[in-house]
Amino acid sequence: MSASTLAPPALAGVLPQRLEADAPAVATAGLSKRYGARTALEDVDLTVPDGAVYLLAGANGAGKTSLLRILQELARPTAGSARVLGIDPAADGAAVRAQTGYVPERHDVPYGTLRVGRLVTHHAAHYASWDAAYAAHLMARLEIEPEPRFAELSKGQARRVQLLLALAHRPRLLLLDEPTDGLDPLVRDMVLELLAEHLADHPATVLVSTHLVGEVDRLADHVGVLTRGHLLTQISRAELHRLLRRYHFEAPEDGTAADAGALHVLHRTNGGAERAWTVWGAEAEVVAHLTAAGCRVRQVEPLRLEEAAVALLRAGRGRP
Amino acid sequence: MLIHIDPAEDRPIYQQIMDEVQRARVMGTLPPDGALPSVRQLAGELRVNPNTVQQAYRELEREGAVYVKRGQGTFAAALEGSAGARRRLLAEVAGRALRDAHRHGFSADELAEAVRAANPERPRRARRHA
Repeated sequence: MSASTLAPPALAGVLPQRLEADAPAVATAGLSKRYGARTALEDVDLTVPDGAVYLLAGANGAGKTSLLRILQELARPTAGSARVLGIDPAADGAAVRAQTGYVPERHDVPYGTLRVGRLVTHHAAHYASWDAAYAAHLMARLEIEPEPRFAELSKGQARRVQLLLALAHRPRLLLLDEPTDGLDPLVRDMVLELLAEHLADHPATVLVSTHLVGEVDRLADHVGVLTRGHLLTQISRAELHRLLRRYHFEAPEDGTAADAGALHVLHRTNGGAERAWTVWGAEAEVVAHLTAAGCRVRQVEPLRLEEAAVALLRAGRGRP
Repeated sequence: MLIHIDPAEDRPIYQQIMDEVQRARVMGTLPPDGALPSVRQLAGELRVNPNTVQQAYRELEREGAVYVKRGQGTFAAALEGSAGARRRLLAEVAGRALRDAHRHGFSADELAEAVRAANPERPRRARRHA
């Protein structure tokens, strides 16, 4: 059994990079961010359709956090522009932040010396749409104690407070940077339930960045893959499901298998005559190609979101 | 009615929800005029996007499997020709088994024969603590 990776140079031209959306909740154009010699984002055209749950997948350091920060004017882009809920954050960051619930990647906030209860009151004062009854409900549900000082909380406790702060003003946009980071499995499951209910009660657009793709598998309806500051692809879940599939087949006796050049193979596992290739393309065309090459296709299956993200990230790593 | 989904499956989640509702109708665990869970409730239970549940319910309504009462919720429609619905469900089960058989290199005939052999006239009882 051997596994090999192949990143065809043509792949970048095949993967869709643009999402069509009327009045998207978030749209960036040519967005770049450099910190000195280091490039965090390079020419990113992100489109988050209104009402979508958009999963931004990427390795640590891929630029996810920089992107979310720029969208709220917590950082300034080096080049390019953004529109968030129809507003240019560079022109009116406060207006964007007022309508956005943000769970930052870091587990610290300003005023960390405040007790949690005070911190929540302080935060509430900034939002006209703060729903005190909902905040109380979330506190109970997330088992948040008002007494301890925020800076003294564990990672998981701090995360729960940050979720409360992000949700309780029922924002039109949620920017969640690794929202389940540090949560134990039980709390994580409860947070996912809470998010699903929140979206049913208070429809919002969600842009969630995570390296734990499997966790938000059931919630996401759009996916973007960020590798080393480049947006490799962005696509609806349905299209991804249709176009990225794993083909189980038997190669012909002479072992030559199909001419891979014409197929966009993201990953191949070969075990003797048995092959499992992850291929980008319409199923009928891929099967026709393999069959014409003398292969016997046994099974075609779509990938789980996590597998798809890994396949794309792996392919993206091969880019020059 | 219990709705079970598996994101690892090859059917999209909204399709799985639709199939589960149809299954419950055919099996009678969702009787005619029985209420479906609210979008919020089901989305929360399954940890799925409420839009996905909404989509499944919309498609079910379009197919005439459920109907919506404004402000009250979604309800199961009367089952017209339950024999037809059972046949459709069986065709799906057979399709899944057949795909698995093909993957293992077996033909439809071989599968059918094996199913008959595995399930003789009188079901064998498991022997307990012989």
